[in-house]
Amino acid sequence: MTEQPVDVDPGGQNVAGEAPAAEPEAVTADTTVHDDDVELERTIGLVGGLAIGIGTMIGAGIFVFPGLAANNAGLAATVSFAIGGVIALLVALPTSELATAMPRSGGGYYFISRGMGTAYGAIVGLGLWLGLMFASAFYLVGLGHYASAVFAELGVGLSFSPVTGIGLLFGVVLTALSIGGTENTATLQNVVVGILLVVLTGFLSYGVLDAVGVFGRGSVPGAFFSRGHFPVLTTAALVFTSYLGFAQVATVAGEIKQPGRNLPLAMVGSVLVVTVFYVVTIFVATSAFGANRLGQFGETAMVEVARDFLGLPGAVAILGAGLLATFSSANASILSASRAVYALSRDALLPRKASEVNLRYGTPHVALLAAGGPILVLVATGQVELLAEVASFLHLIMYGLMCVALIVLRRRNPEWYSPSYRVPGYPVVPAVGALASFGLIAFMQPASIGIGVGVMLVSYLWYRYYAGDVTLKGDI
Amino acid sequence: MTDRPPILVPIRVLEGESVPEGVPTLLANAHVVLLGYHVIPEQTAPGQAQMQFEERAKDRLDEYEAIFEEAGATVERRLVFTHDGQKTIDRTITEHDCLAVLVPNATGAVEDVFVAVRGTVGVDRLARVVAGVFGAMDASITLYHVAENEETDEDIGTLLDGLVERLGDRGIDTSTIETRVERDRDPLDAIVDASAAFDVVVMGETDPSLATFVFGMPATQVANRFLGPVLVVQREPAPNQREE
Repeated sequence: MTEQPVDVDPGGQNVAGEAPAAEPEAVTADTTVHDDDVELERTIGLVGGLAIGIGTMIGAGIFVFPGLAANNAGLAATVSFAIGGVIALLVALPTSELATAMPRSGGGYYFISRGMGTAYGAIVGLGLWLGLMFASAFYLVGLGHYASAVFAELGVGLSFSPVTGIGLLFGVVLTALSIGGTENTATLQNVVVGILLVVLTGFLSYGVLDAVGVFGRGSVPGAFFSRGHFPVLTTAALVFTSYLGFAQVATVAGEIKQPGRNLPLAMVGSVLVVTVFYVVTIFVATSAFGANRLGQFGETAMVEVARDFLGLPGAVAILGAGLLATFSSANASILSASRAVYALSRDALLPRKASEVNLRYGTPHVALLAAGGPILVLVATGQVELLAEVASFLHLIMYGLMCVALIVLRRRNPEWYSPSYRVPGYPVVPAVGALASFGLIAFMQPASIGIGVGVMLVSYLWYRYYAGDVTLKGDI
Repeated sequence: MTDRPPILVPIRVLEGESVPEGVPTLLANAHVVLLGYHVIPEQTAPGQAQMQFEERAKDRLDEYEAIFEEAGATVERRLVFTHDGQKTIDRTITEHDCLAVLVPNATGAVEDVFVAVRGTVGVDRLARVVAGVFGAMDASITLYHVAENEETDEDIGTLLDGLVERLGDRGIDTSTIETRVERDRDPLDAIVDASAAFDVVVMGETDPSLATFVFGMPATQVANRFLGPVLVVQREPAPNQREE
C-alpha cells in the first residue's frame, strides 16, 4: 500500500477565533490517516462514484432540458449538448489530476483554496455551496413539472399549477429525510441509476431505430440550424447544468476507495456516459416531433416523445423515470451542498457550528438545513432557466479556476503535489478548459450573470470580514 | 512471552460499548489490537464526525488501553470513523495480521475453554490462538468436533490428536485437554448446546455461502446465542488479496 504524504499547513483564525482543522498526515487506498492512529475509512467504490456522477447529471439533461433546448436552438440543440460535454470533459480531466493529488472532502473548493489561496477558495467554496442550492432548486422544480404531468395523466384537473407547491413539498421531504434517515441510501442510489440507464437505453434504442426509418415512419426532417448559429452557444450555456455532477464526485473524494484509480474513472466515465445519452436523446426527441413542436411541450417534452413512440406505457415509463431522476439529482445536490458547508467550516470560513453533527441521528443537521432552507426560497421562484443558469455560472467559475489551479501547481511543482493521474495534453487541455468555462458564461442571460457576480462579491466580502486572517494555501 | 497472538477487539466506542468484564484478563497474554470505531450515516463526512467526536472517543480508548495493559496485554490501537463497520473490521484484520477477532461479551474467571474444531484447514492458526491466549492460564480445554457422515473415527482421531500434539508443542499441558465428538447433528445447534456450560468459545470462521448471507455467519449466530466471549479465528489471508 502506498502512502501519500499530505503536507499542507493551514493557519490563522477567523472572527470567532476558530482555526482551520489540522490536515491529515497521509492518504492511503483505504483511509485518510490523522495523527495518533485516527483513520477515516474510504467506503465508496467505483460503482458508487459513477452512480453519484451519473445520478446527479442525468436528471436534468434528459428529463428537463430537451424541450427547452429545442425551443431555443432547434435541431442544433444536439450540438449544444455536445459542446457542453466537451467542456465538461476538458474540466473533468484536470479535476481528476487534482483529485488524485488531494483526495479530500470538498472537491473543487479544496483544490483551489490549497492551490491558489484563501480568497479564491472562499469565493469558490461559498459559490459552490450556493451553486448546489440553485441546482437542487432547479431539479426540484423539474420534479414538480413531472409530478404535475402525473396529475394531468390521471385526468385530475387542478385549477392552479401545482409545480411550485410540489417542488416545495419535496424540498421539505428531502431535507427532513437526509436529517432523520440513517438507512443505507448509497445502494438505493446505485439501483436507481441502474434502472434509469436500462429504461433510457431501451427507449433510446427504439427511438434511434425509428428515427432512421427502421419502423417505416421516417423522421420529421428539419433545418439543422433552424434558429441560427448563435442560439447554439446560448443553449449550451443553459444546458450546462446537465454536466455539473462530475464535480460532486470530487466533493466526496475523501470517501472514495483507491482514489488514484477510481476518481479519474468515475469523473471522466460519468461525463462520457451522460454526454452520449444527452446527444442521442435530443436527436431522438427532435426527430420525433421536429424542434418546433417539441419546444411547445416544455419541461416534460420527453413524456410526449415516449407517448409518440410507445403509447401510454412509454409515457408512464418516462414519467416514472423522470420522477426518479429529478428526485435523485436533487437529493445528491443537497448532500453535496452539505459536504461543501462542512469543508468550509473545517477551514474556518464558516462557523464550526455549521458542520455540527446531530447526536441522535449522526447527521449534520445544521449544514443540511443551511442547504435545504434557501433551496425552498429558490424553488418558490419557479424560474427553471434562471436557476439552471446561475447554478451553471457558479460551477463554471469553479471549473475555470480549477484548471488555473492545476496550471499554477504544475508550474510551481511543490513537493506535496504528486498526483497519481496526470492530465494528458498539458498545458493545452487545462488552458482550453479554463477558457471554455469562462467563455461559456458570456452566453448566459444578463440576469443570471448579474446574480452570479453578486454571489461572488458577497462571498469575497464575507471572507474579508469573517476569515481574512485564515491561510489555506499550500506551501508553493 | 514471545508468541502473543494478535487479537482484534472491535468496539463501537461512541455507542456505549465498552470492554466487558473479564475480557482484559482473558486477553492478558495476547497482543490486543484495539479498534474503536464509529459508524456514521452517509449524509455525514467521516471528517465531520471526527471533528466533533475525536476527543471523546480518544478519552474512552485511553481508558480501555490502560485496562488491557494493566491486565498484562500489549496493545495497539486504532480509532476509525467509517460508513461501513464491516469493511473497517475486515481491513484492520488484514493490516494487523490478526489471528482472531473477539466478540466481546462479559465473562468471569476463565476455567474451561470450548474449542470448536471444524477440519484440518486452519488448524495451525487455531492452535496458535488457543496456546497463545490460554497457555499460561489454569484452564481446561475441550476440543469439540461435529462429525460429518462420511468421516470415520480414524479421521477424527487423526484430526484431534494432531491438534492436541500441536498444542503440546506450544507448551500446553496436554493432560488438561479433553476431546469430544458428536455425530448426526446440525453443527451450529450442537456447538451452541455443548458450549453453554463453558466460559469462552474459540471457533473458526466459515466460508461464506448463500446460507450465511441469509442467516449471518455461523460465528455471529453462535456469539448471539452463547452470550459469553467468542474468539473467531480468521482464515489465512489469500496471498494476493492484499494488493487488490
